[in-house]
Amino acid sequence: MSRVEPFARNPNDGSKRVLVVDDGTTMRLFYRSVLEAAGFVVEEAANGVEGYEKALAQPFDLMIIDINMPKMDGYSMLRAIRADAAVRATPAVTISTEAGDKDVIKAFEAGANFYMVKPVATRELTEIACLITGARPQ
Amino acid sequence: MLQFDRSSETLPIMTDDEYAKFCAFFYRQTGIEYHDNKKYYVERRIVDRIAKTNSESFRDYFTMIRFQASGVEMQALVNLMTVNETYFFREDYQFDALVTGILPALVKGKRRGDPIRIWSIPCSSGEEPYSIAINILERWEQADSWDIEIHASDIDSRILAEARAGRFSARSVGRVSSALLSKYFTRKIADEYQICDALRGSIDFSLVNVIDPVQTRPFRNFDIIFCRNLLIYFDDVARRETVEMFYDCLAPAGYICLGHSESMSRMSSIFRPRKFKDVVVYQKPGPGEPLP
Amino acid sequence: MGLVKGPPPAAEAVPLAARDIDALLIDLVAPDSGVRRHAARDLGAHPDAAMALCDRLQAETSSSVRAVLLTSLIRRQSPAVAARLTTFLRSDDTPLRNAAIEALQEMPDAVAPYLQALLVDPDSDIRIFAVNIVATLRHRRAPEWLTVVIRSDAHVNVCAAAVDGLSEVGGPDALADLHALRHRFADNDFMEFAIDTAIRRIGQD
Ligand SMILES: C[S@@+](CC[C@H](N)C(=O)[O-])C[C@H]1O[C@@H](n2cnc3c(N)ncnc32)[C@H](O)[C@@H]1O
Repeated sequence: MSRVEPFARNPNDGSKRVLVVDDGTTMRLFYRSVLEAAGFVVEEAANGVEGYEKALAQPFDLMIIDINMPKMDGYSMLRAIRADAAVRATPAVTISTEAGDKDVIKAFEAGANFYMVKPVATRELTEIACLITGARPQ
Repeated sequence: MLQFDRSSETLPIMTDDEYAKFCAFFYRQTGIEYHDNKKYYVERRIVDRIAKTNSESFRDYFTMIRFQASGVEMQALVNLMTVNETYFFREDYQFDALVTGILPALVKGKRRGDPIRIWSIPCSSGEEPYSIAINILERWEQADSWDIEIHASDIDSRILAEARAGRFSARSVGRVSSALLSKYFTRKIADEYQICDALRGSIDFSLVNVIDPVQTRPFRNFDIIFCRNLLIYFDDVARRETVEMFYDCLAPAGYICLGHSESMSRMSSIFRPRKFKDVVVYQKPGPGEPLP
Repeated sequence: MGLVKGPPPAAEAVPLAARDIDALLIDLVAPDSGVRRHAARDLGAHPDAAMALCDRLQAETSSSVRAVLLTSLIRRQSPAVAARLTTFLRSDDTPLRNAAIEALQEMPDAVAPYLQALLVDPDSDIRIFAVNIVATLRHRRAPEWLTVVIRSDAHVNVCAAAVDGLSEVGGPDALADLHALRHRFADNDFMEFAIDTAIRRIGQD
């Protein structure tokens, strides 16, 4: 995992928490390995309902949300969170395989703060996570 | 391992095919799923019923439970097959959430005089509904200002009789403080605690199979449903059907509490998660409220 | 006040389950979502109602009704139901599309006959979905199909999904193709990670 290493000595102090919501096992592992190497604490959820549940259970500094998932898709999860006073303010990045203007607009309308298209590069992911959470990038 | 007086020499009494057919039938009737690794558990119990009913063979017995008009033998088999494990104040963080969070939130939407209706399903030998009652009486300061109904149901008729009788072992009341023990129980013999008549008389016990829509249809307008440690025995589809049925049993903005190993996120997205202290419960959307 | 013993819940007039299929089909499009929900549930017992349930799924906007429709369709699964659901994968309606995915993932045998065609669909999102289904199929040839995908599909996300699938169901036969894939998508962090993960998992078996 040579690409992940440059971030291993990141001064980020491990106090920033990220929730990754994706139905793909390898995808969640990838987010975890990249973000942990950059000093984030990572929690996983495999669909929108589980994501909403975890977001309620503990505070997060950032949510990374896949769009196409069974049980509850990413847009629906985000809309539910934005309507819930207990967790409304948590920043969110949606990630999807779809890159059309329509998709980007839908994501922002649902309440996303940022939009990324798969496949996501390590550096891009870390930079966005640092930027949004205010963690210090290397 | 399970301990039985009979030796296992009489096994197997059914072929793998018959086992599969029996499991499919039992699943359709109860929602309970048995995998291949449960064959011993299932077979031991069937052997027992075959002997008690003087059936000739497994095939005979299987015909009887499928076609007997009274359903008496099917009920006897169900009573033997269910896992009734339960005790007072089990997973009591949820009862904390009930008295400190759920009930206070619930009554904000109620008018004086409206009843508060709670359903404990499955209730097994009664520890769960009695625990709910004690927690409410002891710890919710508004308990006296409302009419609170507790209904409790199970598929197992034998265990329901025990629940109605209200006699419990020392193990079952192990988590009840001595103050509460002397307040709500009388000690009959060394290992028997009798729950007081006031509590016994305040709970409505009924025989209900949760996956039978005809049996659950009368259960409507509940404010809170406790369904704990049942869905773990069901397969995915039966779980979905059960929680979707609860949706219709609940009043708008009503709550469901599941057991700690039963995650709603694997079953359905029609309820909204709500957090009370450290406990996540699920809520049906209120009137005019959009769904998640 | 305090605890009161409520009356035992009693059944209302006619149990709805006794209604025939024609009455239920009318209820399925009633304005009240509770009536539609009941009809959707009860129609799950009627094999002939499967296509009507699919029609309703396409139009339904209430998520509680949609959930019940899905459950009934999972109960009534068949190749015809699966074929109809696969057409929803192309929908712009995100909840409908994901509802179809959710239901199809619960009926791998019913959807199996259509997978070959879906795996070469011009739309890469459909191919990703087909790959995800193949990975959950307990089919002897699933690893082989996934290997064909990583050998021939030009789209990075489709191949990544296939690698994810191979990390679950693949055997040593897939290793050479996994190594070769590295060169096809050099400089792609996720692909590199996914390939490493799959190779490690296969090696552990
Ligand atoms: C492990 S106990 C749980 C009791 C209690 N809720 C608790 O958490 O301690 C499970 C109960 O579910 C009941 N049960 C099993 N299948 C059922 C069904 N289809 N409908 C209603 N009750 C059922 C069994 O009879 C058993 O008493």
